[in-house]
Amino acid sequence: MLLRNRFTRFLVSAAAGLTVFVAGAAGSPPLRAEEAAADSKAADEKIDEVDQRVRILERKAELKAEADAEGQKTAGLVGAGKDGFFLKSADGSFILKIRGYLQTDGRAFSSDQVKPVVDTFLIRRARPIVEVTVGKIFDFRIMTDFGEGKTVLQDAYMDARFSPKASLRTGKFKAPVGLERLQSATDNFFVERALPTNLVPNRDIGLELWGGFVDGAISYAVGVFNGVADGGSADADINSTKEVAARVFVLPFKKSGGWAQGLGFGVAGSAGDNDGTLSTPGLSSYKTTGQQTFFSFLNDGKAPGTVLANGSHKRLAPQAYLFVGRFGLLAEWVRSTQKVILGTNRDEIAAKSWQATATFLLTSDKASVKGVGPKHPFDATPRGPGAIELVARAGALSVDEDAFPLFANPTASAQSAREVGAGVNWYLTRNVKFMLDGVRTRFGGGAATGDREDERVLFSRVQISF
Amino acid sequence: MNPKTVLPGIGRWVAIALIASFLVTAGGPWAASGEVALLNVSYDPTRELYQDYNAAFAKYWKEKTGQTVTVRQSHGGSGKQARSVIDGLEADVVTLALAYDVDAIAENARLFPRNWQTRLADNSCPYTSTLVFLVRKGNPKNIKDWGDLARAGISVVTPNPKTSGAARWNYLAAWGWALKNNGNDEARARAFVAAIYKNVPVLDSGARGATTTFIERGIGDVLINWENEVLLAARELGVGKFEMVVPSSTILAEPPVALVDRFADKHGTKAVAQAYLDYLYSPAGQEIAAKHYYRPRDPKVLAQYASQFPKVTLFTIDEMFGGWQKAQKTHFADGGIFDQLYQPGR
Repeated sequence: MLLRNRFTRFLVSAAAGLTVFVAGAAGSPPLRAEEAAADSKAADEKIDEVDQRVRILERKAELKAEADAEGQKTAGLVGAGKDGFFLKSADGSFILKIRGYLQTDGRAFSSDQVKPVVDTFLIRRARPIVEVTVGKIFDFRIMTDFGEGKTVLQDAYMDARFSPKASLRTGKFKAPVGLERLQSATDNFFVERALPTNLVPNRDIGLELWGGFVDGAISYAVGVFNGVADGGSADADINSTKEVAARVFVLPFKKSGGWAQGLGFGVAGSAGDNDGTLSTPGLSSYKTTGQQTFFSFLNDGKAPGTVLANGSHKRLAPQAYLFVGRFGLLAEWVRSTQKVILGTNRDEIAAKSWQATATFLLTSDKASVKGVGPKHPFDATPRGPGAIELVARAGALSVDEDAFPLFANPTASAQSAREVGAGVNWYLTRNVKFMLDGVRTRFGGGAATGDREDERVLFSRVQISF
Repeated sequence: MNPKTVLPGIGRWVAIALIASFLVTAGGPWAASGEVALLNVSYDPTRELYQDYNAAFAKYWKEKTGQTVTVRQSHGGSGKQARSVIDGLEADVVTLALAYDVDAIAENARLFPRNWQTRLADNSCPYTSTLVFLVRKGNPKNIKDWGDLARAGISVVTPNPKTSGAARWNYLAAWGWALKNNGNDEARARAFVAAIYKNVPVLDSGARGATTTFIERGIGDVLINWENEVLLAARELGVGKFEMVVPSSTILAEPPVALVDRFADKHGTKAVAQAYLDYLYSPAGQEIAAKHYYRPRDPKVLAQYASQFPKVTLFTIDEMFGGWQKAQKTHFADGGIFDQLYQPGR
């Protein structure tokens, strides 16, 4: 600017000087030279005035940019995306996220001649989720469920994330034991979880320390909980004894790349004392994939005929998965032992279960334990097919023979269940998924004569999640 | 195993290990430390002052206690800084341009008692300053006193009274001069100050911004600013390019300091933060202030540096305006006199 002004000033002065020279050469009187000098001075002043105006405009623009930048620092953000809707403060210290998911299912039973089961559509899960972060490191999550006509508080917990290696969680949340149980219901490969989920805790209330090392290649969780029956959730304890649960999971090749990058394995377990009463026996029933009870302890509501939990309750759950390209494999084995009492009879009853699930994507997408985000989301054109995944599963659950006939009725409760299933999942987008799978379960025992009738179920699901 | 035990034996030890490992891994307030950090939220032009002062205090504190103290600085218009602290900026100490801004913190955020000004000597003002003019070399527009700033064709640079402490002092200095020279006629004072602001092309948010506008951006014929800023500009930043002009009378400015008790308690820094403010009154602290062109309170240090400060006739905010509360309410509150008379858009 200054250079331009000096050059401009030079031009004007030169022009004025030339005018004076020409006038003088032409023999003009001295008065015209004074006028030219005055004109030159006026021109200088005008240039100065224009220069100041330009500087002022530039400075105002500069100050506005500074104010806008300052405003950006304190302005909050409002946004929406595949992970829901959010409000966020400029510095990220305060975040509110609104998320949720809806699953509308269909179940159709075939070959249910002996014990007909109603084929039905149902709202399996309708879960609004609110997640809040305050002060950067404190998180709060609440998730209710209105599925199947019930209102249940599923999650209500707070995390204090002091460091990636150590965070503290307190409230009601999934106990760290079952692999498929810990997988979000939106990411399961089949409409219903496999048989081992019967033996692991669902949601429990307690205090947990969790974290990871080596950028999450090693993760751990250890907590103290009220303790729940197998497969159960609870909002209060039924006795004063508590349960400890812990899990360690390793992804040894997470950082090194290659086909084994998606290999993970670990072990989880729980130990505690569980004591039931007539009104709350503290014991579970085991259900098929079709959500039909195939095993339960004796319970007629009266003391001589009701089995109660009576002491030590332990679980062991080794687990693993491998996701490589379009292929995925997930497996777990669970053993649960519970001391029981019926009248004067005491025993320790064990139940074991395993499952292995394989997935394969027909489209060129990446398999993952956290669901599939299609590379080409569905847009009703051949270019946007979404992601199509084939799934297959096998598993089994067996109960100690010692449970029969003292603690369980062999004509009503099966001693074992074995299932096989196959299906297809269509991920239209990261948020919308169709599922169709069929599962056949065979039983050992559980009928007046011979084995309980096989269960054959066709499941369907339409899911939206955000 | 006793079924009535709240936790099974292994569970009890796991619970203890859980809590212990949390404390160790996460650290927390129980972690011992030989280091401490302070945040000093200050007004705009004190950067150089506190840069030197913080180094001196850190050395002093290390020698006295063995503890290493790091002082982080935040600078900006005094009003803006006060609002930041009210909104949650966790200052351990505030060193602002005027008592009203510190009062606002005490009143709105209750971070320290309302009688904060009595907790340190000289109304918690360890140094003073005043407001004078900086003009271009040769004083081409012949600016000698406040009255010249209202002349047509004069461009005046001063910051925004809504955000800057210096700007409020400037405004009140002009108003006070007008009252003294017009028989305390408020209407004429108002007209005079309106005429000055008609000559203001740009309002910066703080004193340092106004200095930048005048010196580096080359805007304006006169800059009204802190005496320390003007002396710094004339003697160091733009040697030979600018001159200081001392008006016939101007206002005594008393920038206060205060301990922010609630945050200092929360951070565990109360002792060192108090010592930080106390050190401002020490001979060493007073000398640093003087070297940066702030008028020290210590008479010996003031005498030693007397030659660098011009002789000025000063009036106070109390005698001319009845104090800061009244002045703020009348002139600078939303809808106050400044909002009525400032006409932007030149």
